[in-house]
Amino acid sequence: MKQDTAAKTMIISSCIFFGFALTMGILTALKFVVPTVGDIEYLSMPRLRMLHTNINLFGWLLQANMGILFWILPRILHTKLFSEKLGVAMGVLYNLTIIGGLVCIALGKVKNVEYGEIPPPFDYLVAVCWVMFLINVVGTVAIRKVKYLYVTVWYTLGAVIWTTFVYITGNMLSQMPVMAGSNQANLIWFYVHNAVGLIFTPLGVAIAYYLIPKQLDTPIYSHKLSMIGFWVISFVYVWTGAHHMLHGPSPHWLQTVSIIFSFSLIIPVMAVITNFFGTFATAPRGKRMLGPIPKLLMMGTVYYVFTCLQGPFQAIRSVNEITSKTDWVVGHAHMALFGAFSYYAMAGIYYVAPKLAGRKLYSEKMGDLHFWLMTLASIPFFAVLWIGGVIQGFAWLNPENTFVETLAALKHAHWMRFSTGAVIFGSYFLFFYNIMQTFFGKYSEDAEVEAETVAAE
Amino acid sequence: MKIDVEKSLLWTATGAFLLFAVGAALTTIVPPMVSPEMWKSDYPVHEYTEQEQRGIQIYLSEGCVYCHTQQIRHLDSDKRRYGWRLVDAPESESWEYVNDRINFLGTKRTGPDLARVGGKYSSEWHWAHFKDPRNMGEKFPNRKGVYEKVSIMPSFDYLTDEEIKDLTAYIQTLGRNKNWRVDKDGNPLNDYEK
Repeated sequence: MKQDTAAKTMIISSCIFFGFALTMGILTALKFVVPTVGDIEYLSMPRLRMLHTNINLFGWLLQANMGILFWILPRILHTKLFSEKLGVAMGVLYNLTIIGGLVCIALGKVKNVEYGEIPPPFDYLVAVCWVMFLINVVGTVAIRKVKYLYVTVWYTLGAVIWTTFVYITGNMLSQMPVMAGSNQANLIWFYVHNAVGLIFTPLGVAIAYYLIPKQLDTPIYSHKLSMIGFWVISFVYVWTGAHHMLHGPSPHWLQTVSIIFSFSLIIPVMAVITNFFGTFATAPRGKRMLGPIPKLLMMGTVYYVFTCLQGPFQAIRSVNEITSKTDWVVGHAHMALFGAFSYYAMAGIYYVAPKLAGRKLYSEKMGDLHFWLMTLASIPFFAVLWIGGVIQGFAWLNPENTFVETLAALKHAHWMRFSTGAVIFGSYFLFFYNIMQTFFGKYSEDAEVEAETVAAE
Repeated sequence: MKIDVEKSLLWTATGAFLLFAVGAALTTIVPPMVSPEMWKSDYPVHEYTEQEQRGIQIYLSEGCVYCHTQQIRHLDSDKRRYGWRLVDAPESESWEYVNDRINFLGTKRTGPDLARVGGKYSSEWHWAHFKDPRNMGEKFPNRKGVYEKVSIMPSFDYLTDEEIKDLTAYIQTLGRNKNWRVDKDGNPLNDYEK
């Protein structure tokens, strides 16, 4: 089988899923401002929300990350992918599984697991796909032709091992007949939090650890910081699930443990961030921000700083009293999964797609425009969710406000979320068009180079 | 023997797994052992009837949990807001949930918390509310048409009457494991059921 077929399949289908995910997101946002739109069963707000999160997590982000890593890993390890056939088989099975799972969600056949609504047998098939991915990753590392394992490889190995347990705990063990009540909730939140923390964080960071030095043509800033970041995160992250239940019906000691470890997360995050910014700072000044890839990597890192500073502080009891259960949380989750990790994934696709197609990116300028539109829209998008969340949190403190009054106070925030979200949605099409043209379009590279020289003169 | 972790697939993988396993075990397996109130109760807890279980399935597939939590947090503001006739709602405790095979504790409140909603409204009220929830709340004074209503809850008029009855039966059980809606002398105030 032709080399990199697996990477290509997964990257292209992930780009398509991304569009559906954003469509669901914009429809959900629209429902908050004009609730009568599409008032039918299959388009009710909770169904749209479940589709939005699941398409984003599994259809887009996880699939994009796996596709990019299928390309990156053989390059770092100076070898071929362990089994291209296994990779393609997994890609096909994975896409069919996700589509099946999404149909079930639309019909209302779901599990009570946030981020894991996909019901059996499809969630078991996701686990099967994951094991196939694991075999391919470990196999590729085993047949490597270099001695040392680079940071990207550590994070990928960590992610495939951790995720196997996290996914099984959250989706299968939590549904066992003996599980109920707050015990079940504890397992589910273990999954929900670690889905972000031990699936998307390590995969996203792995991609960034490869792309940043490669794109800037600069060695990574500090090897020691990479080690601190990796080993501390593998110990610290997993403890934090219970911080979703602060003040709630779960053991007080468990909440306190999760707060302590949530706060400790500042250590690995700062190590990673310092390393990324350090690499940017030491890169040649003139060209370090040319084109969409370094811009997306830089902005993704900035969002990563913000989201990872919010996290530890939100976990403090007094802060949590205001922010928890409000729109703030939605803003926080969007900045992690959209702001940080989707930006890394988009940078990865901009980097890998031309290599897969064997020619230059269709249009760097369009890539820049996509970046600026998305970034300038996403900043107010996140901000308005936090501001709305804080307003809501304080409004709830006063028992004089009826609940609907506290909701009415958010009308402007919800309009703002919809309109900025619409810009994000629009800029996605620039990204999609650019990537599809790079793969399938007919364009002559020379013409573009000529145009650039003319413009330069 | 000198071990160079960065050269070894085995050591990197084992190290990452072991460090993870410590936290994973201590936050998933150990809590129910140390705090048995997470899975067993010293007090009587309501067993769901068949009808109520059908209601739970509807609550699940309609995704009610994405806007309505089911937990009175240990905060004065929560207890006051979700109280009833100036009686504060007692906070939710682990043992109340031991029969919830499918828990709906939730993470987001776009609508009010439902942990203690059982018995607060009549079943007729719930029926009307599921049919047309936006019409039953407050209105913006200066707006017209669809923009007039403050509530943004979707209407569930596509559910059959039978399904709404099942769902209501489930909702009427919520938060009743603690007998909290009583007057000063401890007499029950559950007037809707009488």
